Amino acid sequence: MSAMTDKGTQKRPLVEMFSLRGATGPLIGLLLLCLFLTFATDSFFSIRNFLNVLDQITVLGIMAVGMTFVILIGGIDLAVGSVMALSMMVLGYLNVEAGLPMSVAIPLALAAAAMNGVIAGVLVTQFNVPAFIATLAMMSIARGLANMITNGSQIIGFPPWFNLAAIIRYGGYLTMTVAVMLIVFLLALLYQRYRHSGRTLYAIGGNPEVARLAGINVKRTTVMVYMMCSLLAGLAGILLAARLDSVQPSSGVAYELDAIAAVVIGGTSLSGGTGGVGGTIIGVLIIGVLRNGLNLLGVSPFLQQVIIGTVIVLAVAAETLKHRSK
Amino acid sequence: MKTTLKALLATAVLAATTGPALAEDVKKIGLAVPNLQADFFNQIKLGVEGYAGSKGIEVIVVDAKNDTATQVSQVQDLMTQGIDAFIYIPAGAAAAAVPTRLARAEGIPVINVDRTPEGAPGDTFIAGESVESAYAVCDHIIRLKGGEGKMAIIHGQKGTTPEVDRFKGCKRAIDENPGVELVAQQWSQQWSPDEGFSIAQNMLQAHPEITLIFGQADGLAMGAAKAVEVAGISGEVIIGGYDGDVAALEYLSECKGPFWVTATQSTQRMGVLAVDSAIAVAAGKKVPERQIPDAVLTTCANSPKFVAKHP
Repeated sequence: MSAMTDKGTQKRPLVEMFSLRGATGPLIGLLLLCLFLTFATDSFFSIRNFLNVLDQITVLGIMAVGMTFVILIGGIDLAVGSVMALSMMVLGYLNVEAGLPMSVAIPLALAAAAMNGVIAGVLVTQFNVPAFIATLAMMSIARGLANMITNGSQIIGFPPWFNLAAIIRYGGYLTMTVAVMLIVFLLALLYQRYRHSGRTLYAIGGNPEVARLAGINVKRTTVMVYMMCSLLAGLAGILLAARLDSVQPSSGVAYELDAIAAVVIGGTSLSGGTGGVGGTIIGVLIIGVLRNGLNLLGVSPFLQQVIIGTVIVLAVAAETLKHRSK
Repeated sequence: MKTTLKALLATAVLAATTGPALAEDVKKIGLAVPNLQADFFNQIKLGVEGYAGSKGIEVIVVDAKNDTATQVSQVQDLMTQGIDAFIYIPAGAAAAAVPTRLARAEGIPVINVDRTPEGAPGDTFIAGESVESAYAVCDHIIRLKGGEGKMAIIHGQKGTTPEVDRFKGCKRAIDENPGVELVAQQWSQQWSPDEGFSIAQNMLQAHPEITLIFGQADGLAMGAAKAVEVAGISGEVIIGGYDGDVAALEYLSECKGPFWVTATQSTQRMGVLAVDSAIAVAAGKKVPERQIPDAVLTTCANSPKFVAKHP
């Protein structure tokens, strides 16, 4: 008897963890999109294509998780695309040019990325620079540094296993890079739901002054959130380097906008305080499936841009209407 | 270990030779282009579509918007759609090998146009002879200035095949003329007119003595021409371009400078060659490793002809 109740209480939070908190609209949209593509093309509904989509959203997915946390506390991070490029170039320089093993090069590349977030966080909290401006500045600085490492050139010549990690589907399903993304998703969901500091993000986003008076160290948490966002952008860069088997400093231009779009489509409010990682994952999938599906349908590249913009507008409008009717 | 490697290699070669021969009829071609905003690539796309259409072949075009990661994803999607041949213009320089590997895994023909990935060549590479044509353009503008002057070069995207080759050719023309000194060089990201404009403006600011400018693409040259006009020195500066974009040919036809000469690439012909090569490779026939549709030196004397009908 007691064993049964135990099981019951364990199960509930597990369900809650995957509860979508206001992202039901996007989820319905995603399902409708998949349904449409299944009937409109022969090639959409297959395991192989689904795995391709997962491959294709890896970078965006990981970036968008970090962006979700930043937006939850009412901030924004425009630097993630540039930080990703910086992390890639540091990795390439250390591994290929300097000959250091990956076990050293990867942590150092991640550290270089995280540094950017720390600086942005300090600018926001200690110097009261608006997040938009602080990260806009970091976007420019990180891109410049990425270019300076090789004077604008690309680096090729990673060890063969590195590219294979993004190509070989272990057990027939998961590439190493997709596995990393899924782990990031899981950890982020757990963190947001169960860790005290995960819960405080909502408080800060709702009202930073009230959060401070409630005993939350708002400044430290804010710096940590920007650092985590940059760190994840750096991680995305390492996975992209594996996928492309090369690095170049012009990578990731305007990726921050894709990440913000995914977060917003997933139902997180740009003013902070509501939403979450669960919705963002749906948002990332919508963008990924849409791009993949439009390619499969053979839609002209120019029309694709129009359609993607329209979907962003529709997703946000639907969310707004729902809130208004409540 | 060695024998297994050899065996692997042998099967790989076998797969490479028998693979394409199996898919004999080409019904669907995938075309991956770096950036349709650049007229040059748009012209190739139109060439491929026009010619393939006349043969009843479907063409699926994907545009990477100059982002290598996007291109890899798009090529994956092309493979999912079961294309019979892959015409591939790499976006950027670095990641070029990955899409070729993806296509090889499917055993379909890979036709490279304009750029070829280092270390992973396709079945054939179709591109103008950039080195010689760039030499001809630079030689022409240098002679217009009497074999001397301070020169500036606006490069394309660093490390791409055309960027490297066009510089090589132009450099030879500069080296042959001791009176010419290369005083400024700058790389663009997109080969675009707005980049050409701002780069040229900065160059003229730093080196007002510049009288010769080579833009590695017509977009860059047109931008530079605008910068020269704004500076009010159209009479003193001579600009050379490359590619033979429609807008550039129309500009040259007016015969008023400062942009005087370009090398017109046979983009329509490239499209036709690419489709024909795809059909031939799929049928198991051998095609030349390198095919060179010539670029034609174009001034205002012969540009109206190309405006009427692009080669």
